[in-house]
Amino acid sequence: MTTSTSPTSAGASRTGARGGAKKPDPVVAGVRWIDERLGVAKGGRVLLDKIFPDHWSFLLGEIALYSFVVLIATGVFLSLYFVPSANELIYHGVYAPLRGARVSAAFASTVDLSFKVRSGLVIRQMHHWAADVFVGAIAVHMCRIFFTGAFRKPRELNWMIGVTLLTLALANGFLGYSLPDDLVSGTGLRIMFSIVLSVPVVGTYLATFLFGGNFPGDGSIIPRLFIIHVLVLPAVIGGLIAAHLGLLVRQKHTQFPGHGRTEKNVVGSPMYPTFIFKTTGFLFVTAGVLWALGGLAQINPIWQFGQYEPYKISYAVQPDWYMGWLDGALRIMPPWSFHAFGHTIPFVVTFPAVIFPGLCFTLFYAWPSLEAKLSGDRAEHNLLDRPRDKPRRTAVGVAALAFFFTLFAASSTDVLANYFEVSLNEVLWFFRFAVFVVPAVAGFFAYYLCREMSGVPGIGRRKRAVVITRSPEGEYESIPTDPRPGDSPAELDPTPVPVRIELDEPEPVGAGIPGVRRIPRRQ
Amino acid sequence: MQRTHRWRYLLPGLVVVGVAVAGLLTSGAAVSQAATPPAGAKALHSASSAMTGPITYDLPPSSYVAPGQTLFEQNCASCHGVDASGTDRAPNLQGLGPATVDFWVSTGRMPLADANAQPARKPPRFNRTETLQIVAFVNSLAPTAPDYPSGIPNVDVSAGDIVEGNSLFVLNCAGCHTITGAGDALSNGFFAPSLHKAKARQVVEAIRTGPTQMPHFGPHNLTDKQVADIVAYVTGPIQHPSNQGGLGLGGIGPVAEGFIGLLFGVGGLMLVAFWLGDRK
Amino acid sequence: MTDDNLTSGASGGAAESGHADGDRGGLPLTSFDDPHLQPFAKNPRRAEALIGLVLLVGLAGFCAYGGLYWVGGQPQWEGVFFGVGLFAFGFGMSAWGKYLLPQGPFEEERHPFASTEPEVQAMAAAIEERGRIVFRRRGLLGTILGAGAGVMGIVLAFPLLRSLGPQPKKSLDTTNWTKGIQLVDLDERPIHQADLEVGGSLTVFPKGFAGTSVNQTMLIRPGPTDQDIVTKPGRETWGPRGYLAYSKLCTHAGCPVGLYEQTLQKLLCPCHQSLFSVLTGANPVFGPAPRPLPQLPLMIDGQGFLRAQGPYSEPVGPGFWERS
Repeated sequence: MTTSTSPTSAGASRTGARGGAKKPDPVVAGVRWIDERLGVAKGGRVLLDKIFPDHWSFLLGEIALYSFVVLIATGVFLSLYFVPSANELIYHGVYAPLRGARVSAAFASTVDLSFKVRSGLVIRQMHHWAADVFVGAIAVHMCRIFFTGAFRKPRELNWMIGVTLLTLALANGFLGYSLPDDLVSGTGLRIMFSIVLSVPVVGTYLATFLFGGNFPGDGSIIPRLFIIHVLVLPAVIGGLIAAHLGLLVRQKHTQFPGHGRTEKNVVGSPMYPTFIFKTTGFLFVTAGVLWALGGLAQINPIWQFGQYEPYKISYAVQPDWYMGWLDGALRIMPPWSFHAFGHTIPFVVTFPAVIFPGLCFTLFYAWPSLEAKLSGDRAEHNLLDRPRDKPRRTAVGVAALAFFFTLFAASSTDVLANYFEVSLNEVLWFFRFAVFVVPAVAGFFAYYLCREMSGVPGIGRRKRAVVITRSPEGEYESIPTDPRPGDSPAELDPTPVPVRIELDEPEPVGAGIPGVRRIPRRQ
Repeated sequence: MQRTHRWRYLLPGLVVVGVAVAGLLTSGAAVSQAATPPAGAKALHSASSAMTGPITYDLPPSSYVAPGQTLFEQNCASCHGVDASGTDRAPNLQGLGPATVDFWVSTGRMPLADANAQPARKPPRFNRTETLQIVAFVNSLAPTAPDYPSGIPNVDVSAGDIVEGNSLFVLNCAGCHTITGAGDALSNGFFAPSLHKAKARQVVEAIRTGPTQMPHFGPHNLTDKQVADIVAYVTGPIQHPSNQGGLGLGGIGPVAEGFIGLLFGVGGLMLVAFWLGDRK
Repeated sequence: MTDDNLTSGASGGAAESGHADGDRGGLPLTSFDDPHLQPFAKNPRRAEALIGLVLLVGLAGFCAYGGLYWVGGQPQWEGVFFGVGLFAFGFGMSAWGKYLLPQGPFEEERHPFASTEPEVQAMAAAIEERGRIVFRRRGLLGTILGAGAGVMGIVLAFPLLRSLGPQPKKSLDTTNWTKGIQLVDLDERPIHQADLEVGGSLTVFPKGFAGTSVNQTMLIRPGPTDQDIVTKPGRETWGPRGYLAYSKLCTHAGCPVGLYEQTLQKLLCPCHQSLFSVLTGANPVFGPAPRPLPQLPLMIDGQGFLRAQGPYSEPVGPGFWERS
């Protein structure tokens, strides 16, 4: 087999008959077919050459993305079995303690899906675990973006799309786990009704409109939640994810400063084949972890909770983890309620559940412009910061994380009091103070830690061994050792993606000569 | 890129998942103590032959009173007084009935370990015969008040209907003991205990005598049949839950689930990302 | 977007456009010996063997799951087999991508995508000038158009919101408790004064409305049985024979206040741990509840059955704007 190595080959003209003896390459033929209809050969190759930096923290967004893919896939499966109706029926299924009980069709169909459909329970639990991991991954990814300053110009828009995605993920998760109409999630719906009620002026109207009357309403809440959960919000989330990734492709990914990396290039792996292999593998890894969790770790065993009734309640009813910050805020809020001129504003609910999250998300949206204003830095940035190089931003971020973490912990006051055998009252008072003290302390420490770290020479780089010798007079001397051969090998310079690669092996030496054994060339 | 990666970095994801899988493979079913017939059970005789239904109330024989008095003086009188009429350290036990004493002693709550905390279940100090002797003695001191059971309950669990028991349990019990019977903290340092170790007899005793903060459910609030239903539900689906989804995670719901999801789900995947990506 | 690679390939050389069979048009060529194209693994053969092993585990997992499914399935083993299968499959694929494919690093240039200043000006001018043509001396038309759009937006909200459900009207202010109505339990069984022991509790409803949300009421008997309990001035007859009744709907966020701590004489709401003092009219003593639980005035009729003296004196449940 010969290869053509000269850049100036004289191939026969394409159109018309194929005069040559060579068979047309099917890949070329295929590319040409598509290109003649869509014109994508040139742009497509640019896409294949797209560079993705390889830092591990850039994969966190992919955890969220692939959790979403799992959610869609498992969600479609679930929607083939779930009955989104609050109509009552008598349960006649597999789970004995409920046989003969009056339950809603939504509840009964979820129990049947769990027990009667093969692999139904695994997929249902996988869906729920994927929702928990989806929001967790968004949070972790958002932290990475924040602490490395990737939200700066020109990526403010992408940051805002991301914050919107977080909001929608929270909402869709809440709607999703409320669908089975079980005791625990139904309690959450009752609380949501009360939260809507607490909105001044329009709250009572919105609440009765949404539920079809005073709680529990006429039953239409279940099908309404269903269609919002499976159609409206996933469509919006999907569209926003597409925009999020589209902006990423257009603006190219950011990268940490390092060897050969500048503000004007991107260094990493090309889309095809390297990145596609790695990222598709990661998709299956994510799916594997979620499937394993779905089969091995029980989540939301609604058959144990039973059908929701508004006069029934269980203790230890926390919402799913990502709503915990709101539940904690509801618990620690002092009982302030304002009543004047014949009207009531139940501030004890309106503030933690309506005003406070509104403030939080407004702050999230506004952060890029807020930081640009405070720091005076309006330049375009494609290189990332190490968190230690921006102590004030890092301190703010750490304080915010500590604040939310304290709120999350405050959501489990009763569980903590029981587990650590401490008085419930003391636990609550602790959190009322902790929610202010812990973020302040954490932010303080983060700030000074960053300052310390950025002052250390050679931080983040491998240290070389140092030999300490002592002279007979007692003097100590430290001598840095020579670098060892494997220590820090010279990094390769980044190079553009090659257009063509000489894959075929040249004529091996000794080929065709009898008796000469060909030693295969090492790859 | 540097070629400084060791092969151990190839495996952390597998190691983590392997450990997680090994840990999570254990079944989630809560194991309850096997209900072995108590040694002294045969000694009980029926307190009232007029009682029919799934629960009968029996008394220990009168021959138990004397040894019971000895045990009481040795173990209980220092706080409750030799005639069980109470001191400033402990309440008056007279008239509380045999079921009350049997509950507190057979669950190990008495003798008291920590006077500053709500008494908690612990391995009972006395065997069944000794417990019944103490019961007999305290019972002999005064007639049982009418709102307490007249004997130690003997419940026929098989006569209980777990569907009815399910509904009654959710309405009356889950608010304190949680829907899975895991127990939780009440106010001011009190708590509703876990139900996973309760024997059938002790469930009836607790319902009928209302220990500490627990409400007192008399026979006109919950009939004996309803109590038997609740007992069937507690000793059945509560203590042997249908954890077909896997590890039960303690039955406390989203708090544990969130912890696992974030630690193993997000954390595990972050470890894989750490392996897959660069460090620079 | 310009295609850099054609002009700055490792081997240089101008590219020829134009179709050609088989030799890809004479594009710049990189030798396979280029260090950037070498696999990352120090020992590729060993890496290949390990990756192959991992992928085989994945394959085995898939087969095992398939087999298990056909014999009936079992959630935990399904989770292990297919989960390990997916994980190993993905792990092997990622490892292939990381260790066996060209290690790079590769780069591409960032070209400023912002347009030049004249282009920005031209765009802004286009929007502004053409816009002015639309409204040039036709301001009234624009106003009417804008008014139409505004009203359309407002009016569209009507079916979107109002058609969903009924107005609240009195539904939040009233319950079905009326003067003289009997207290019943969930099975519509009337409650007699002898039913509860001291320290007992029961969920009750007005007769004919068992199981309804807004009417749910906690009946408790702090005792003693021969005395009336006075929780507040003006409520001297509300607590006959040691009985008290409070709305079970928490005044914080509407959860059923189902925990009766009979020794402390408190009602604890399990959702956010509001604590109500039973003997003083269910005053909130701890936690976020802002108002006491409304108390239902009780009475005992001639046959000894419990009845309500009248409705609740205030709306039950959490606060809302119109609550006066």
